[in-house]
Amino acid sequence: MSTDDHKDSHLVKQEDLPEGVILRDHVVDGIQEYDQRLPFWWLCILFGVIAFSIVYWLVLDDRSFNGSAHQELEAQLQAVAAKRLANSIDVTNDDLFFEMAGTAQFVSAGENTYMTNCVACHGKELQGGIGFNLVDEEWVHGSKPSEIYNTIAHGVPEKGMQAWESQLGQKRIAEVVAFVLSKNPGLKP
Amino acid sequence: MNTNNTKTTTVVYDDDSVRKFMIASIFWGLVGMGAGVLIATQLNYWQMNGKFLEWITFGWLKSEGVEFLTFGRLRPLHTNAAIFAFVGNMMFAGIYYSTQRLCRVRMASDLLTKINLWGWQFIIVCAAITLPAGYTRGKEYAELIWPINILVAVIWLVFAANFFWTLAKRNEKSLYVGLWFYIATIVTITMLYVVNHLSIPTSFTHSYPIFGGVQDALVQWWYGHNAVAFFLTTPMLGIMYYFVPKAANRPVYSYRLSIIHFWSLVFIYIWAGPHHLLNTALPEWLQSLGMIFSLMLWAPSWAGMLNGLLTLRGAWDKLLTDPIIKFFAAAVTFYGMATFEGPLLSIKAVNALSHYTDWTVGHVHAGTLGWNGFLAAGMFYWLAPRLWNTKLYSTTLANAHFWLGMVGILLYVASMWVSGITQGLMLNATTEGGTVLQYPNFLDTLQAIRPVMLFRAIGGGLYLIGFFMLAYNIWKTARSGQAVNGTVEVATQTESDTDKRFSTFLSAPVIYSGLIIFSVCLSIFSNGALFIFGMFLTIVFIIVAIAHFEVSKASWNDWFEELLSHSFGFSVLTIIAAAIGGAIQIIPTVTVQRADNIEGRIQVPYTPLELAGRDIYVSEGCYNCHSQMIRTLVPDVMRYGNSGQGGGYSHLGESIYDFPYQWGSKRTGPDLAREGSHRSDDWHYWHMLNPRDISPGSNMPNYPWLFEKPIKVSQLPNKIHAMRMLGVPYPIDLSEEEIQAQVDEQAAGIVERLAEKGAFTEPDREIVALIAYLQKLGTYTETGDSAE
Repeated sequence: MSTDDHKDSHLVKQEDLPEGVILRDHVVDGIQEYDQRLPFWWLCILFGVIAFSIVYWLVLDDRSFNGSAHQELEAQLQAVAAKRLANSIDVTNDDLFFEMAGTAQFVSAGENTYMTNCVACHGKELQGGIGFNLVDEEWVHGSKPSEIYNTIAHGVPEKGMQAWESQLGQKRIAEVVAFVLSKNPGLKP
Repeated sequence: MNTNNTKTTTVVYDDDSVRKFMIASIFWGLVGMGAGVLIATQLNYWQMNGKFLEWITFGWLKSEGVEFLTFGRLRPLHTNAAIFAFVGNMMFAGIYYSTQRLCRVRMASDLLTKINLWGWQFIIVCAAITLPAGYTRGKEYAELIWPINILVAVIWLVFAANFFWTLAKRNEKSLYVGLWFYIATIVTITMLYVVNHLSIPTSFTHSYPIFGGVQDALVQWWYGHNAVAFFLTTPMLGIMYYFVPKAANRPVYSYRLSIIHFWSLVFIYIWAGPHHLLNTALPEWLQSLGMIFSLMLWAPSWAGMLNGLLTLRGAWDKLLTDPIIKFFAAAVTFYGMATFEGPLLSIKAVNALSHYTDWTVGHVHAGTLGWNGFLAAGMFYWLAPRLWNTKLYSTTLANAHFWLGMVGILLYVASMWVSGITQGLMLNATTEGGTVLQYPNFLDTLQAIRPVMLFRAIGGGLYLIGFFMLAYNIWKTARSGQAVNGTVEVATQTESDTDKRFSTFLSAPVIYSGLIIFSVCLSIFSNGALFIFGMFLTIVFIIVAIAHFEVSKASWNDWFEELLSHSFGFSVLTIIAAAIGGAIQIIPTVTVQRADNIEGRIQVPYTPLELAGRDIYVSEGCYNCHSQMIRTLVPDVMRYGNSGQGGGYSHLGESIYDFPYQWGSKRTGPDLAREGSHRSDDWHYWHMLNPRDISPGSNMPNYPWLFEKPIKVSQLPNKIHAMRMLGVPYPIDLSEEEIQAQVDEQAAGIVERLAEKGAFTEPDREIVALIAYLQKLGTYTETGDSAE
């Protein structure tokens, strides 16, 4: 056939092959092709996955059984909300925050949260920056602990203070309030 | 074949172009991988975004950041260089070399070959200039601006014409399996490229895609995923089917496996695109189709791996000594690994963890570096001695390249696994009974993966060093030999490709396939009785087809053999097989009335200033690191859902006016879907000036030039006009003066608010527009009639 630079000496001959191995008689540019049977395990994967896909499409994924992904998500969020409510604390109780501010464990937990989330705007010494100073006398959005809690939890979007409740949760925000109270001598019961 | 006519002529192959494509591939490969290593270091060291110039010039160049060197602009350069320049040129080299030999004819037109060769290099140079300069369409792997798109399409059609013309002139009756894959590549890439690049130009360097929001997302990933399938996979498989049996001197393992491999791959691949959009706002039936077709791709992909590896069976002794066999065996093994990992990542539950993380990044690099890169290396080492009629300069060096590359890619992939899974777990972790996020600060998750990310840069660096060794080795080989062109003696009698062109369509296998696909579609798109009827028809047709096949195996086989001698019929069937999946997914989504696809919320259109800001966001490539899509997952809603305006996951209508869509594919930084009115204007001001002042430990680049460059207000009338054509409800009689007035008013407000906080800038600076845009993100109105 071809007189290309390759030799034909490598060509395999049908008569040299074991029983059952088919060699196609067509040679292209010195390339031959066997016609081996498809491996059984490979066929298992092929048909197994196709069968699974059909079952998935018809049954597992059928939204009339499960509801849509959106309904599923809503249900999960409801469960989370219920749990959160069950564990909620009375964030209007100012005395509670002062009690926390006197408890080292709460204050240090609050400090940790403060140093990762609040420090960028309110400063390492709570001296302020993009956000307000937290160790002075001036409290634009209220100086009662419950008001401070409220400011952190729901934010003041028009002033650029973001709402933290969904990210931090009640407990961590209360700890931050406790930390702030412990740092600002002006805030007393 | 030669019986009728004993007269022969000598065909001289055009190997000169193969040499040039190969050199181009190696050169651009080094550029693309070099860019990759640079941007990998940027993720660990923000100073690599330009500040390092200050150090290496000992302070002569003052810079807090260079706009041409930021991650957002260089990442598209890296991906485009790796895909279209490195693999593209390698693909052309392999196709030009093997097609001529498999057809025993010289390429049909030397002129077309030259246009293909130099046109492609010109495109790459254009890309290398425009992408760092910030000219982009903002769609992944489709970033090039529209004039270059047209150039790409023209050059690609030149290549197609040259290829099919060569097939028509061939002196080999039957099409070898390698050619099937080349045909699939050419026809499918043409289709994908054209559809995903449909745009409305607003200036010579800017355009908006005609699809927006969910439609754009779907079209983008139909294209994006199948760029992987038909640019990085099918041509590589064709090359494998030629070069692996050549290098091993062994017959291909199984012809019937090739047939199943080819047709199942071409048919199934196209459907899998939506697996890039799992758990997003994409309609669920599309997500499910994307997932199951990705799973079904496992076996067809492994058929390719089997045919590659089992062809090497009997040549394993060479594995120890021959670097070419080493590279091929490793490449095919990586192909097998990547095509197992792909379906795994497409499972919705796995994807909830892996998506937007480094796991995906590791997965694609196993494909491009492990599979394509090693296949390219094997092919180059095999070709060089033959193209320059000499011996490979150094086998030792090639072996060293193999081991260095292997260590590099393994380091790369392993570190991305660790990094992706770690960050995914941390981002999804909750505490206090699942009621709050354990790591609410995104930066905590970034700090955790920094050390592993460093290993990625090291792994990539090793791989790059290996490729430099290849470049040196090939260069020395070429220097030691002399360029030669292959020749072959062929009979002058030519085969006819014209008769029975259309009879191929009326054969039993084609008719059964058509009937089965039709009945499956019937049940996908209908409910009740029609659904049952579709299922019933499907089962009946499958049983009849199987029975018919058992009875008349031989005639079906003859039909396929016959088909293989008709390149036209074969190509048409390939187009049909590849087009079905996309048509079924895309046509219903783009033709649906917009109002039906908003889930009760509708985005508030951008003001002119915000639109200008959005174009800056796109141009800076922010989407490379920030998504705008809150998935339907509890941790996503907890982390991003309630900030700003608030309201759970991202509904379809919230991005309906986004041309292009900005859902993103990777979260190197946090999601920005609801960034608007979440923080103060001055927060953004200081953050863009130096992110680390506000977010200690951030790896985001500084953007000082945004405070210098003016907003291009003069382009806004054209842009707004284009937006209106696309269906965004801007007032029809908005004059240039009114646009200017609106821009001025909004900018003045922002500048004033900034000044109150001691952040000073002029109202015509880009930063003002960008802040306006960021503060708008996530603004929508409820339409009342919720979709559910």
